[in-house]
Amino acid sequence: MTASARQFIRAATAKAANPGHRAILENNIATYDTAVALGKTRYASWENARSVAAQIKWNAVNHLGLYLEQFERAVVKNGGRVFWAETAEDARCYIVELAQQRGVHKVVKSKSMVSEEIDLNAAFAAASIESVETDLGEFICQLRGEPPYHIVTPIMHLTKTDVAALFHEKFGTPLTATAKELAGVAREQLRRVFLSADMGVTGANFLVADTGMVALSTNEGNGRLSVSLPRIHVVVAGIEKVIPRLEDLAVLWPVLAQVGTGQTVTSYNTLVGGPRRDGETDGPVEFHVVLLDNGRTRLLADVEQRDALHCIRCGACLNACPVYKNIGGHAYGTTYQGPIGSVITPHLRDACEWSHLSYASSLCGACTGVCPVRIDIHHHLLHNRRNAVQRRFDNPFQRLAFKAWFWAMQDATRYRVASKLARLAMRSGLALPFLKPWTQCRDLPVPPARSFRDWWRREGRDGPPGRPNSSGAARPAGAPYQQHK
Amino acid sequence: MNPARSNILSRIRAALRTETPRPLAPTDALIWPPVGNAEPRFRAEFTAVRGELLDSAQQLREFLKAFPKIATDGSALVRQVAGDGTATSREADIGITGCDCLVAQTGSIIVSTRASGGRALSVLPPVHLVIARRDQIVPDLAAAFTLLRQRYDGHWPSALSLVTGPSRTADIEKVLVMGAHGPKRLALYFAD
Repeated sequence: MTASARQFIRAATAKAANPGHRAILENNIATYDTAVALGKTRYASWENARSVAAQIKWNAVNHLGLYLEQFERAVVKNGGRVFWAETAEDARCYIVELAQQRGVHKVVKSKSMVSEEIDLNAAFAAASIESVETDLGEFICQLRGEPPYHIVTPIMHLTKTDVAALFHEKFGTPLTATAKELAGVAREQLRRVFLSADMGVTGANFLVADTGMVALSTNEGNGRLSVSLPRIHVVVAGIEKVIPRLEDLAVLWPVLAQVGTGQTVTSYNTLVGGPRRDGETDGPVEFHVVLLDNGRTRLLADVEQRDALHCIRCGACLNACPVYKNIGGHAYGTTYQGPIGSVITPHLRDACEWSHLSYASSLCGACTGVCPVRIDIHHHLLHNRRNAVQRRFDNPFQRLAFKAWFWAMQDATRYRVASKLARLAMRSGLALPFLKPWTQCRDLPVPPARSFRDWWRREGRDGPPGRPNSSGAARPAGAPYQQHK
Repeated sequence: MNPARSNILSRIRAALRTETPRPLAPTDALIWPPVGNAEPRFRAEFTAVRGELLDSAQQLREFLKAFPKIATDGSALVRQVAGDGTATSREADIGITGCDCLVAQTGSIIVSTRASGGRALSVLPPVHLVIARRDQIVPDLAAAFTLLRQRYDGHWPSALSLVTGPSRTADIEKVLVMGAHGPKRLALYFAD
């Protein structure tokens, strides 16, 4: 078992056994579910909206090189610069060196999962450059020194009381402060930072190829302030974010908001197409776009799972996932949590180290059912499991057990003997030590003394259970087998 | 020259030699019900996202009394209705701007660096007032993009925003709070 897998099991076990934590997530996700259900009533055909969104992303991803080059040409024509980064390291270095060369002391960041992926804040800190998260949830994460809990809802795991305690400690606000008062404190604190920052770093929800624009959605307005006030604007985005045409946003903007929060559209959907133009009165004088690969071309080459690059990071699959609802976001140990994170992390990072996440699923398919761009998420979890076995990343004992099972299933006599032995071992308790990983948190029903085969041979043939048969001793219909702890 | 560009593009080319099946094709079914009469629809949607409609010159005057420091975009329509502001966007109590168009489907206002006096004026002051004409209402987002492309194709403003209600956050326990970083209030006055 890899170190990440051990850490995952430890963290997941602790969180799943914490009812208080589960209640916080349940409350948060219940509010989300209500808003999403209400939002869906605005659609005549939500299914068709998904189909259109999936088609746009399929087209973009399957002509990725074409659209990226078109995007690059348009950005350069608009007076911006494009930097291609193969790795997280390349992206970090470019951004930090740019900041150093331009004498940047303070950076404001608008919420960006890619900046988490490349660990940009740590790189700024190492270069003694102050970088401040401005999304309220991310700001709170940064104050607590922890990564976001959820792609869209960074502090899903915290109550208002937790935030009030944090703000009391950091800013001296009363412990009884309301959500409105706490947001007001953050506004005041961050307003000063916005007005004095030299550089704004944002992610991108979409990169529009035909006009060379970066589309950015925020509810708080921190995205707009980050691209308005500092003198340099840096965008860091995965290469899969490109879409062909501006008009595609007429569907993608509402669809993203619908599954992200249940809103009709996000409060602010902003398009930034370069630095300030001649004749414009404000805005950054420099505009840089960092296009990040960092394993995405590996995922592109996996034909079976290529559609995972359709992902628009809406967070819907996390909210739908019974595993996420029990273990929360930090247990995964990844930048992208939940089902989509379990699918893509083995591709973006190391397949051997991160394949265990694909087993943390009941394969219920709820993730696939809610995905707005029709990614076949739960089948990709199966694909990852198969790949792990083929590449021998799995547990050798498990491999041996499956070999034994395969051998036993091939012959009637072997099957009969093996099942008899298994029944004996389970009824006598001899097998229990080996089954501990299962039984320590679940009941194991004790198998009946007699197998169905035996029963059928002696009595079943004479009639269905419940009717008197030759021996008159059939189990009544519907009567349960005895349950043992 | 950074070799990353050609490395990434050649990996993409190699990967795309194998095609993937297309997803379920869209049908002719309408995604949204028809917008209907654009102006009442806009008013309903704009109010639903907590926008404030100022319905008369009297209401506008009353509204503006609360804000001593005014910043404006200097456009003809704004000057005609609200005069010239004297404050900068950093110190203003209210930013007054024009817009590119209004979207009935979502109750949104599209602002841009060209139609709304730059980037900060419509987002930095605590209140944003938009002066528009009724004929600026378009039915839906698709129509808005058509209009923008006709107006700007080839020489786009450096930034545009689809603004739908005032700034908000629900990060703390999903409790909705208005006025996170952007304007706490968003108002609209029709000049015609």
